[in-house]
Amino acid sequence: MASPVNDNTAEQIILRWDTTASEDARTRMIFESDREEINRYLQAVDQIQSSMNLTTLSDEQSKKLNNAIQISMARLEDEFRNILITNSTPIETEPLADSISLTPRTTPRTSSFRSDSPENEDSSNGRNNESISKISSASFTDRNERSVTFASCRSMNSIREQDLLPSESISDLRSIAERMIAAGYFRECVQVYGSVRKSVVDGSFKKLGVEKLSIGDIQRLEWEAMNAKIGRWIRAAKVCIIVLFASEKKLCKQIFEDLGTTAADDACFIETVKAPANQLFNFVEAISISRRSPEKLFKILDLHDSLQDLLPDIDDVFDSKPAESIRIQAPEILSRLAEAARGMLSEFENAVLREPSKVPVPGGTIHPLTRYVMNYISLISDYKQTLGELIISKPTTGSRHCDFAAPEMDFDEHEGQPPLALHLIWIIAILQFNLEGKSKHYKDNSLAHLFIMNNVHYIVQKIKGSSELREMIGDHYLRTLTRVFRQAATNHQRATWIGVLHCLRDQGLHSTGSFSSGVSKSALRERFKSFNAIFDEVHRTQALWLVPDEQLREELRISILEKLIPAYRSFLGRFRNHISDNYIKYSVEDLENGVLDLFEGYAVSQHSRRRSQ
Amino acid sequence: MSPTDTHVFFLNRISIRRNQVVSMDNNHEQDLEELELFQKHISDRFTQLLPTTGEEETLTSDDISDQMLSITWFRKLLDTYLCCESEFKAVLIIGRDSSQFSKPPLDRLLPEHLDRTVKALDICNAITNGIEVIRHWQRLAQIAVDALEQRPFVEGHVRRAKRALNTLLMSMTGEDKEQNAHAGKSAERMWSISRRGGAGGAVALPAVNHNRRAIISRSLSSNFMRSWSASKQILAMTTNLAAPRGGDSTGLGLPVYLMSSILVLVMWTLVAAVPCQERVGPHFQLPRHLVWTQPMIVLQEKIGEEWKRKEKKGTSGLLAEIQVIEKVAQNLVEFAEGFDFPVGAEKADEVAEQVAKLAEVCRKLEVGLGPLQLQVREVFHRMVRSRAEVLDVMDVVAKINTHVAC
Repeated sequence: MASPVNDNTAEQIILRWDTTASEDARTRMIFESDREEINRYLQAVDQIQSSMNLTTLSDEQSKKLNNAIQISMARLEDEFRNILITNSTPIETEPLADSISLTPRTTPRTSSFRSDSPENEDSSNGRNNESISKISSASFTDRNERSVTFASCRSMNSIREQDLLPSESISDLRSIAERMIAAGYFRECVQVYGSVRKSVVDGSFKKLGVEKLSIGDIQRLEWEAMNAKIGRWIRAAKVCIIVLFASEKKLCKQIFEDLGTTAADDACFIETVKAPANQLFNFVEAISISRRSPEKLFKILDLHDSLQDLLPDIDDVFDSKPAESIRIQAPEILSRLAEAARGMLSEFENAVLREPSKVPVPGGTIHPLTRYVMNYISLISDYKQTLGELIISKPTTGSRHCDFAAPEMDFDEHEGQPPLALHLIWIIAILQFNLEGKSKHYKDNSLAHLFIMNNVHYIVQKIKGSSELREMIGDHYLRTLTRVFRQAATNHQRATWIGVLHCLRDQGLHSTGSFSSGVSKSALRERFKSFNAIFDEVHRTQALWLVPDEQLREELRISILEKLIPAYRSFLGRFRNHISDNYIKYSVEDLENGVLDLFEGYAVSQHSRRRSQ
Repeated sequence: MSPTDTHVFFLNRISIRRNQVVSMDNNHEQDLEELELFQKHISDRFTQLLPTTGEEETLTSDDISDQMLSITWFRKLLDTYLCCESEFKAVLIIGRDSSQFSKPPLDRLLPEHLDRTVKALDICNAITNGIEVIRHWQRLAQIAVDALEQRPFVEGHVRRAKRALNTLLMSMTGEDKEQNAHAGKSAERMWSISRRGGAGGAVALPAVNHNRRAIISRSLSSNFMRSWSASKQILAMTTNLAAPRGGDSTGLGLPVYLMSSILVLVMWTLVAAVPCQERVGPHFQLPRHLVWTQPMIVLQEKIGEEWKRKEKKGTSGLLAEIQVIEKVAQNLVEFAEGFDFPVGAEKADEVAEQVAKLAEVCRKLEVGLGPLQLQVREVFHRMVRSRAEVLDVMDVVAKINTHVAC
């Protein structure tokens, strides 16, 4: 039962601490004084509050109590703000980077293409060189980063709350909040709390390196810079969700839980984190909007994976009803990233099909496009877990859907292979198609075939060199490809050597009608002259041609020799006596050596220099 | 057809039309007709946004719902944008020879338009932020409403209302009405968040408590860097925005220009109305010689005038509801400052009227801000989608041309 004496005392205490009343009241803070002072004030507030509930109040009393309440609430609001500001402990970010469990999501892949650094190509297609080196460097950093960047074990509860305020402050804040809410000043309380904590979170964001980039800024980013920022976001986002936001949520609970009838803790939490959470997601959204160049695919997939990994934590932290609008953003943005990734793959396929360079690669060797595409495909197989989930439809083939010629392909023979695998096969098919087109720019037909042989063989080797690729593409298609390069090898040989072997045929050398079945010496002379000239030409020209793969080179030479040597030996055997030695330029051994000079990419003069040493 | 229906319809048509050989003659007629219609529709739609003659736009009118620059009006504006945009895409892409995209003037105009779209995306985000700020103001106003709806008027409630309204007005106008003198110095000291070592004998900050409120409320965290400025974005969007002169064989230069102008106008209007970072008003001009743009010009002039008028006082945003809040809040603060208990019946009625107005506008905000925010997001996503579609077509064309040229 409130007595007038107690009420007056309480009122006096409250009036004494009215900020507008005295300099002292303005400069000193109650909650920085001793515990006794604090308790006295709180009791005074309680006293006034309970007196308010009495029904037997005169107008005068009621008015005085109302004033006192308002003054005390204003005061408590300032105290609340002060405690929050002066006692906040900033988030510890450094030890976190290590302590977050480092289970890699994918096992590091030993890739065959690591040794395949882009050669110094004389090809005029500079863009492809650039693209190739981008892909190579990206893959190195990507792989290292992926294995140490983020945790994956979802069975572990990964939330890591930290204490943002000392426990004494928390209990003080709770005492204040309790009274403010009981007096109907909930709104003021939320406002104060939210505005202070929002600034603190802002500061933490800065520390973690979360930037406030606009969409325009992100569009203007160079590829390297974008990569770096995505990497930084991936590292920071995890901390933001499981440490920063989780800690803020815990703090809200500690201060506001079970006070009043509305879920005060939820309201305060949302007030605090809504804008920062949006900032975090806006970055990802901006990335998903940016132009769909194929190089970005893998970093986008990294981003996709890390956001996906965060979903359970996001659901955890933002589980209240008011937080729903934040929670649902994540899957939406995720699906936009997925769409962007699909778009990039599609862009890549278009780019491979339409890659327009016409200048033939000297020597018929591996085209930079081939390397680029195979590197890219290898990376795709690295990411097959994620991409496999995202790519759900078959590639569109044939010219119907493009304003551009494209090969037809039906995938009936590849039933049962997942869509991603079909895309890989399609990519290789259009690569071949493009290479076929390029091969037509060689003036020499034989070189065109060599070019195809080299490039398709390279493709086959790459596939064979990776068990994942091989498994995805399947042996059936591998066999098809093998047939292609073997056929090209045969075509090449035929194109080059038919003319040569033609010189060594039997018919036409015997003079007709003569009794002694003699050999036409003039015809023979012509034959030898032709043979020598053609072989010279082939030797000189094709020494400069290149078959980079050693084994293939050997096989090709052996195959040539197998046809050439016996024919020549038998020709020599039969006809050398009919003609002066002047016309015989080559011995069998000379031919063998000559063929050994082929396809190394050196001029003949260099060969003879080497041999004479 | 709603904007989304048109969108789906458009997508279906494009895959059929793409490979059709377009015969120049009869389609040329069709194209011209399409363009005429497009312009006419724009004009019609914007005419509907203008106040009908005789309608007063001043704050004395009680029902601001259909007033220009109210939330309802803005929703119509955004709807208008979406409709124009659908039609624009249809005009631009369907049935057109896409090789025109790589020739002048489209080879320059389209990328510029797309660039404006990107800037508009950022403005949409700024507006979304701004709507949150308005929500914050609404809550402060609600405190005052609740306090002043209590009878009889007591000093306690009035002071509470006054405190909330002062915070509100400081936030709206950026002015610190209380204790301006201390504002500068205390700022730095306040922001050193010191760790209390528990020793209790820490130096007491010679704090001026009220200023903390001011500075914190002003720095309501923005998701943009300090250097970002809404008005600079708008200004950048107006660069190179010029009506095409003759000599455009594609006939597409004009619709692109019109769509860009609409985009700029809509964004400019949003920035005028909603608080966002650095929005000191730029004023841009639409050329007068194009018949169809008349309603747009009239609209822009009206808003521009209003903006210039209010700018001198340092305004928080031209949104009708915000203007009401600002005015009523100022009235009520005046009342609160001259408050004398007991309040006479006449005075009480005056105040009650103002409070009712404030309550009404708070209710409008409560109901209207959510849908408005959603609509801004819808505009955002539509711009993203359209941009991607146009880019796709442009890329295809570019690659074909490279192939052919080599």
